[in-house]
Amino acid sequence: MEEESDSRKINNSFLRDHNYATEADIISTVEFNSSGELLATGDKGGRVVVFQREQESKSQPNRRGEYNVYSTFQSHEPEFDYLKSLEIEEKINKIKWLPQQNAAYFLLSTNDKTVKLWKISERDKRPEGYNLKDEDGRIRDPSTITSLRVPVLQPMDLMVEATARRVFSNAHTYHINSISVNSDLQTFISTDDLRVNLWNLEITDRSFNIVDIKPSNMEELTEVITSAEFHPRQCHTFAYSSSKGSIRLCDMRQAALCDRHCKYFEEPEDPSTRSFFSEIISSISDVKFSHNGRYLMTRDYLTVKVWDLQMENKPLETYQVHDYLRGKLCSLYENDCIFDKFECVWNGSDSVIMTGSYNNFFRMFDRNTKRDVTLEASRENSKPRAILKPRKVCVGGKRRKDEISVDSLDFSKKILHTTWHPHENIIAVAATNNLYIFQDKVN
Amino acid sequence: MITKGQKRKYSPEEVEATDRSNPIWESQRQFVFSVSLNKYQRGQELPEPSLRRSVLIANTLRQMMVTNSSSALTTCSGEWESMSTDGDFSLSAAISSILTALDSNIEESPQAVQRTPFQSLENLSRSSEDKDKLFGLRGCGVGHPAGDDLPRYLLPISPSASSSQYLSNQNLKCLPSFSSFGPLSSSPASLPTIFSPSSSLFPGQNQGLDLEHLMEILVES
Repeated sequence: MEEESDSRKINNSFLRDHNYATEADIISTVEFNSSGELLATGDKGGRVVVFQREQESKSQPNRRGEYNVYSTFQSHEPEFDYLKSLEIEEKINKIKWLPQQNAAYFLLSTNDKTVKLWKISERDKRPEGYNLKDEDGRIRDPSTITSLRVPVLQPMDLMVEATARRVFSNAHTYHINSISVNSDLQTFISTDDLRVNLWNLEITDRSFNIVDIKPSNMEELTEVITSAEFHPRQCHTFAYSSSKGSIRLCDMRQAALCDRHCKYFEEPEDPSTRSFFSEIISSISDVKFSHNGRYLMTRDYLTVKVWDLQMENKPLETYQVHDYLRGKLCSLYENDCIFDKFECVWNGSDSVIMTGSYNNFFRMFDRNTKRDVTLEASRENSKPRAILKPRKVCVGGKRRKDEISVDSLDFSKKILHTTWHPHENIIAVAATNNLYIFQDKVN
Repeated sequence: MITKGQKRKYSPEEVEATDRSNPIWESQRQFVFSVSLNKYQRGQELPEPSLRRSVLIANTLRQMMVTNSSSALTTCSGEWESMSTDGDFSLSAAISSILTALDSNIEESPQAVQRTPFQSLENLSRSSEDKDKLFGLRGCGVGHPAGDDLPRYLLPISPSASSSQYLSNQNLKCLPSFSSFGPLSSSPASLPTIFSPSSSLFPGQNQGLDLEHLMEILVES
């Protein structure tokens, strides 16, 4: 798939165009909404920035809509847990959109401990002609009011407001790593290292714990939950992944507590590739259902795997993301890169999957043609409207002119968060504090 | 984080030896073990360590322990075998204590008390008898090859009846000196990082003296 880089229009007052990465500006999550009209990003500073695709112009049919800043708001603030003397980071771990049901947009955003439901709505009219107060808002003297009038709605400049409608807190002892909205549009799950909690979107003062893998004796803890997601169509089914490389599919109809899975997906370890780091690299960092609900995709440190829900003993497909790192695991363990959590995404038709890597590389795999491509999200290498050139990593021997050797990779530049437009070939890639939006080449 | 192009003097990963009798595999194992211990300690120093990271490192350490036991069983004497089992117990107990401390920090304690792995072993002891048995990082040169440095620092005293013998100065005499870690002793730069001056486990310049001093503290407590 050929791509062209799109010049993103940014409101510079919100997204600073600096060469250095301010810690708070590091993007920690990206997510398209269900129509693809909106794109939300969350950052380490607890802010959410929402981009909206501009309407396509009939006069310029070849110039498809670009994304502009639509709204920005502070979702989470740093907090201090006085009981445990611990600071709670404001970093946004995940954003999930609710399907649009009226004129307003709703999204869930979460940090380590608290999930919030935000309503983003437009206001382009305001009422004028109040009886009890004048246009400045000052209260009128009732004795001066001699007649009644009906306030009239007058047009005003478009204002986009974000209001926190629900706060779901005090339900997680450990760090929340994922949230997922159910297809029933009434419930959602929030997942931390050891537990999965089920919430109703209307009720904030209680939640149901549906998975709890905390052992009674913490000395026996050898596995944590790394991610969880609801099935896209079956409102009673969800899956969660573990640090040991397994995925469990659970049916909420079976029991109130879903500790017993109904399906268990795990691939036996290949003894020929066993090393000291086998378990660490098998830890699953992301799990995503396909849009059609037939497949599961998992990302571990070196591979992306596609699982058929009907086959538990091995994945349907395995894609090597950066196998050249297998010989570098010791260094990557030493510098903590081995603990990086990469996400993975499906395209709208479930035919292509994408995930990030180091050196600001990201990879796409076409499941049908079995072709793959490595692209780079980099300002130096991408001019607006230019077609992205495929990149290649040289694993040994003679390095060609355009190739980059493994030892030259920059491990501080990692693409952990990506998202794909639900219907079109538009992707958003977060590279530290920069957001790149790419779309298909216009023929 | 290692920046691009940084080189280490020692690159154990360049040789992926699967043969456990291979000294390169052994040195790689020791390197990974020492790095893992350092990571654990540094993780414990954080106000709220990542549970996933801690569990993964703990599992790696447990794996080291298992491979150490299995390799020891195949190469060493019977006495060594029993001491290996004790080593399993000690390391397993250390890891368990770390995880328990992690949980108690998160779940219950109003004030997070940071404990190093070494201190965790101290806290394991409940009776004076147990206290005497558990020595965190002490060596005992009975019955294992001189080149096998790592287990010396993990083996507790055997909980058998003869353990009381270790309370004597005999045990102190068994502590290896810095120069006795053959076959690496001829090249101090290649010694495992666990013994480096910068290691938080062994602060100070004179490693031998620090080890003995640590011993005294434990015996007295």
